[in-house]
Amino acid sequence: MQLYEQESSRLLTVVMRILKNRPLAEDVVHDAFIKIWKNANTYHKDLGSARGWVYTLARNLALNALKYSQRQVLAEPDFLLNLCDDKVLETEDHPDELSELAQDPLAQASLQVCLEHLEPERKLCVLHAYVDGYTQDEIATLLDKPLGTVKSWIKRSLRALKECLE
Amino acid sequence: MNQDTNSVPDTDDDLAGQYVLGALSPEEQAIFEARLTNNVELQKAVNQWQAHFLSITDRLDPLQAPQPLSARIERSLDELEQQSIKDAQKRSIKQPQVLSSFWQSLALWRGISATCLAVAMVFAIQLQTIEPIMSEPTYIAVLVAPENKTPGWVIQTSQNTNQMQLVPLAAVQIPEGKALQFWTKAEGWDAPVSLGLVKRGETLNVDINTLPPLTENQLFELTLEQETGSPTGKPTGPITSIGRGVIML
Repeated sequence: MQLYEQESSRLLTVVMRILKNRPLAEDVVHDAFIKIWKNANTYHKDLGSARGWVYTLARNLALNALKYSQRQVLAEPDFLLNLCDDKVLETEDHPDELSELAQDPLAQASLQVCLEHLEPERKLCVLHAYVDGYTQDEIATLLDKPLGTVKSWIKRSLRALKECLE
Repeated sequence: MNQDTNSVPDTDDDLAGQYVLGALSPEEQAIFEARLTNNVELQKAVNQWQAHFLSITDRLDPLQAPQPLSARIERSLDELEQQSIKDAQKRSIKQPQVLSSFWQSLALWRGISATCLAVAMVFAIQLQTIEPIMSEPTYIAVLVAPENKTPGWVIQTSQNTNQMQLVPLAAVQIPEGKALQFWTKAEGWDAPVSLGLVKRGETLNVDINTLPPLTENQLFELTLEQETGSPTGKPTGPITSIGRGVIML
């Protein structure tokens, strides 16, 4: 049953960041586990990252739950930018032997590196969208930019990240 | 600037990235999700983007999932499990079919991460209560291929049966005239000790009463040897899988 303790804590962290509402976040994590259990047989190796599969499912539940819940939209640029800067080295100092075994540490580290190549404002757009689950409208208001600019930045950032990751 | 971006049509991979970032319009998202249901390549692209971005949220300070939440999840899954066992019994599904769905879901648990792998195995095995030979494992090890770290075997022991089982996670290829030999070595031992030969398609059982007590971090490996086993009593062939043991209780 330790799978829950390990992965449910991480799922709760991700979902809570998006929903900013503890009881709702716990409901979503509960429902995510039920859905994972029911759909586990549809996952196979050809679908790529299993964790990606699990988190796509959980994040979609969280984003759906947002439709029925109000939340505060906050900027926190320093927090977000630090999330992909400072801690890179910190993790490398304490390698987790087991997690290195199954995951590809190179692929993981490289997204952090590739994000470094983006201009801070564009990087923030990507981080707000992913980490906070903000819509592009919300990001445009938050950064005081036209919606079209935000859309364009996100598209271009994804292309740049993809090129860099390859 | 917009024109520049819009002049290049979105590839499926672009769309997958935008989907993961929630950057598709409601119409685009509906179309994308409709395509997603039966497009393996598209699902793979989504999972890949998700896995990349996860490396950011993995850096968030983790919240502790409260005990009541874990208990609630366990209860719900227990109910589902009981229900599926009942359904299986009603339809009197034969063992092989049950096993194949067991392995399918195992692909997911195996893929989540090696950290969770050992516990995921326990979880997957507990789900499979229809198969009576498994009881609560007390010691577990996951053996991975040295070159690409693909999990290949799981070792588990149970106090109830005093048996250690070596269970393959995938089809095992053993060349003609060869065998896989199972070895272990704890700290302070001079040399690895053979635990036996693995035969094609069989789970190897070892009586743990014949062994010194299993220790944390004890090394286990499989080497490719002659059909009759290593001629020297020590590993001579290449290592095909290797891992270390974890005490579960």
